Amino acid sequence: MTAIAGIWDVELKTPIGSLAVVYTFVDTDGAPAGTANGRGETVPLHDIVVDDVAGGEHVTWRQSVTKPMRLNLDFDVTVAGDSLSGHSRAGKLPRTRVTGTRRAA
Amino acid sequence: MYAQVVLFEGFDPLDVVAPFEVLSAGSDAVGGELIVELVAAKRPGPVVSGTRGLVLTATAVLDPSKPGFIVVPGASGPLDGDPDAGAETIPVLLARFAETGAVPLIRQAFDNPEVTVATVCGGSLALAMAGLIEGRYAVTHVLGMDVLEATGVNSVRARVVDDGNLVTAGGVTSGLDLGLYLLERAYGPKISRAVEILFEYERRGTVWVNAGREPVAV
Repeated sequence: MTAIAGIWDVELKTPIGSLAVVYTFVDTDGAPAGTANGRGETVPLHDIVVDDVAGGEHVTWRQSVTKPMRLNLDFDVTVAGDSLSGHSRAGKLPRTRVTGTRRAA
Repeated sequence: MYAQVVLFEGFDPLDVVAPFEVLSAGSDAVGGELIVELVAAKRPGPVVSGTRGLVLTATAVLDPSKPGFIVVPGASGPLDGDPDAGAETIPVLLARFAETGAVPLIRQAFDNPEVTVATVCGGSLALAMAGLIEGRYAVTHVLGMDVLEATGVNSVRARVVDDGNLVTAGGVTSGLDLGLYLLERAYGPKISRAVEILFEYERRGTVWVNAGREPVAV
């Protein structure tokens, strides 16, 4: 089971303000999958790649949102215990910080 | 034929007035055939711009069934500031417009073969934020080009981009070039040239269209 499996409360910044997003990662037979729920919209995550690193996992994925605006996003985070942190990138815009906490089961 | 120039809270006055005046002069040159009006999504009445409280008055409601042009301007306001702290930056103003009742009307306009949707400056970014122009070729103010691309639009560095029923123009003064190009498309170069002479302004740059040969890297 991957370290990122579970439900996470994540905050990410967009050009028009911060967004609180709930991420749900599942691990089906070693193939990780996930969804993101923010502002009433649930979107699937694509191209999830998980690598083991010292102390946790390095996870990348792609997703699109339409709220608060249409954006195609690339994520790059490191999971350690119950925290995740990293950045997201929309096209050529500057990277923005992403932080998240695992929800207690 | 109608040219409806859309007003929304925080609009950039020059984005509106440049095409409004150019299209009005063009209308005069064709004997008044083009009906140019300022419109708003909800109701006629005064709309406050983003520049020093300048107010313009919409005389009609945006109607996507009227054949002709719909011109969407960008916003005027601060560029810096934290939206989380309540700063009404240009992206925030555009995003706010992108969530109004104007969006379903503009979506209908795109579906109407007798309407061309045109934008000046950040107007294209507002439509992009609403997901209306994904995959299209368009331009916006130079400072917004990265955000435009991030919404899934093929951003093009040109003063005016003609993508069929979507004609977009770059920052602010590009509204002059947009107005002149729309006149040329609708009525021919003699009409647009007559307005150029009256306004003492020659249209600038090449109007980009997704056609012809690709340049080889030099």
